[in-house]
Amino acid sequence: MSWLIWAVAGGAILVAGFGVAAVPKLRARATDREVAWSTARTAIESATVSRDACAHRSEAAEAALARAGAIVAGGGGARAARSATKHARRADRLWRAAAGE
Amino acid sequence: MNSLPIRRSSIVGIVRVVLAVAAVACVVFFVAAQGRGAQVTYGSGAAPEESPSAPPEQPTVDLPSAPEMAAMLDEEPVVRLPGAVAAWDEERVRQAIGDRDVRIIAAPPGLTKEQRSAFAEVDFEVRRDLEDDADLTVLTISGTRVSGGIYEVAPSTLDEWRAQFGRNDVTAPMIALINQLIGSGDEPVEGPADERREPTPDELEVVAEQLRESGRFTAPGASLTDVPADASAEAFGGVPAMYAAFPVQPAGERVPDYGPALARLFPETAIVVLYGSWIEYHGPHAADFAEVAAAGYYAQYGSVLARGPYPQDDVLRVYLRQVASVRYAGLFDRPLPYTPFDPLSVTLPALPWIFAGCAALLLALSARPLLRRTAARPLGTAGRLGELSALAVEVSGLTEKAQDPAFARAIVHLRAARDAIAGGLPDRHVHRLLDHAAEELDRVGRAVPVDGYRPADNLRRQRA
Repeated sequence: MSWLIWAVAGGAILVAGFGVAAVPKLRARATDREVAWSTARTAIESATVSRDACAHRSEAAEAALARAGAIVAGGGGARAARSATKHARRADRLWRAAAGE
Repeated sequence: MNSLPIRRSSIVGIVRVVLAVAAVACVVFFVAAQGRGAQVTYGSGAAPEESPSAPPEQPTVDLPSAPEMAAMLDEEPVVRLPGAVAAWDEERVRQAIGDRDVRIIAAPPGLTKEQRSAFAEVDFEVRRDLEDDADLTVLTISGTRVSGGIYEVAPSTLDEWRAQFGRNDVTAPMIALINQLIGSGDEPVEGPADERREPTPDELEVVAEQLRESGRFTAPGASLTDVPADASAEAFGGVPAMYAAFPVQPAGERVPDYGPALARLFPETAIVVLYGSWIEYHGPHAADFAEVAAAGYYAQYGSVLARGPYPQDDVLRVYLRQVASVRYAGLFDRPLPYTPFDPLSVTLPALPWIFAGCAALLLALSARPLLRRTAARPLGTAGRLGELSALAVEVSGLTEKAQDPAFARAIVHLRAARDAIAGGLPDRHVHRLLDHAAEELDRVGRAVPVDGYRPADNLRRQRA
């Protein structure tokens, strides 16, 4: 009986220790991913607005936005989201330049 | 306003450290206690038992040679050598002997080893002198130790031991041995007569006065000089002890019995009374151990004590050790007074629960901040979102087609910021999105024909 108490209590201490160490880290990683995806989606929408406003066509911008859309469709982690953000921003820049803003 | 959460979190941190230390201490105590095994349970006496003392090396008493003693026995049937102490009821012994030929020789106590063997040869010498007498029986009494033929007699009751050592009265052993030797068999021998009486108040007062003064009384003729304090403390625990020593009492007359009277006079006191080599205990818990201790003591050392006059100091020291070992043996239901208090044995059953309590509290304290998912968000973020949204609504009526893309991008960022706040994303991210939105709105505000619709102007207007 006594050893059971020791084992359960020891397990509780282990859980507490690992929890204190691991939970904030996991949470930070999840937040980081969400932030990255949020940024990526915003950048793509922003680029879409710029494309719709642009009278001229831009092959490079189209390609960049298409790649960003493909990455978003494929899903993934924070790195994928950051890559999609980069492509979408580039497309946005190109269209704005083409629109002459 | 800000100091309260900080103080609380630091207190929680300290409590967590304390709990962790307590848990570790529990484990350390538990592990350390595992190695102690069973040998902690029993106390044991301080020193190994030792017998009163060895026979003297140099002769202290004169003993005639064996042939001389045989010649004495030839002349008369009962010989008391000079210094002999044994006493017996001659009438009862004569009745036991009847018309048989029984010779009795009593030697003084304290014979050396050589004297003892010479004394043992008397039987043989007498038989050689009277070669035709096959029915001859010789009893040799060395001190108060009675032997004859191949037998040696030892008392079997406390009354007999008291008679032997307190009064040098060996009547009962002699009669038992005579019955055995001359063939009348194992019939029970009547015990020694109880020759005790109540002490008179005067006699008692003499003893009590000394005891009140020093805790020790030595009557004229008694040999007690000192009581070993540590042996006394070990034997009787915290109970104060008094010692009264008397010489061997004369046989055949009524002698005062001081023990019960002193016990009435000094309640709650351990009272040890010595008559010669006979030791009595009176006082607290006497019924529990006094008889056991005395029976063990005289059964073990009786034959040694009978042969020699040992000083009462030695006799008492060994007796006290016997009492201590009897009480250490834990034969009785009351707590041993000298078992040291062992806190570990008390805490050991509770230790797992203490440990479990520490673990549960640690778990709770650790889980509490983790379960609180969203930290308190400064209201400024939401305020800024609302402010920019209001500005966007105001400026929306003024925009022309040229500003539509910028305005749309601002709306996209504002919506993303709203979603981020709803999703509990960090403030930094929300502000970055709002920065983008403000940038686009600034572009719109500069382009519209009316002044005062840039985010900075809007802020100024609100402050005014």
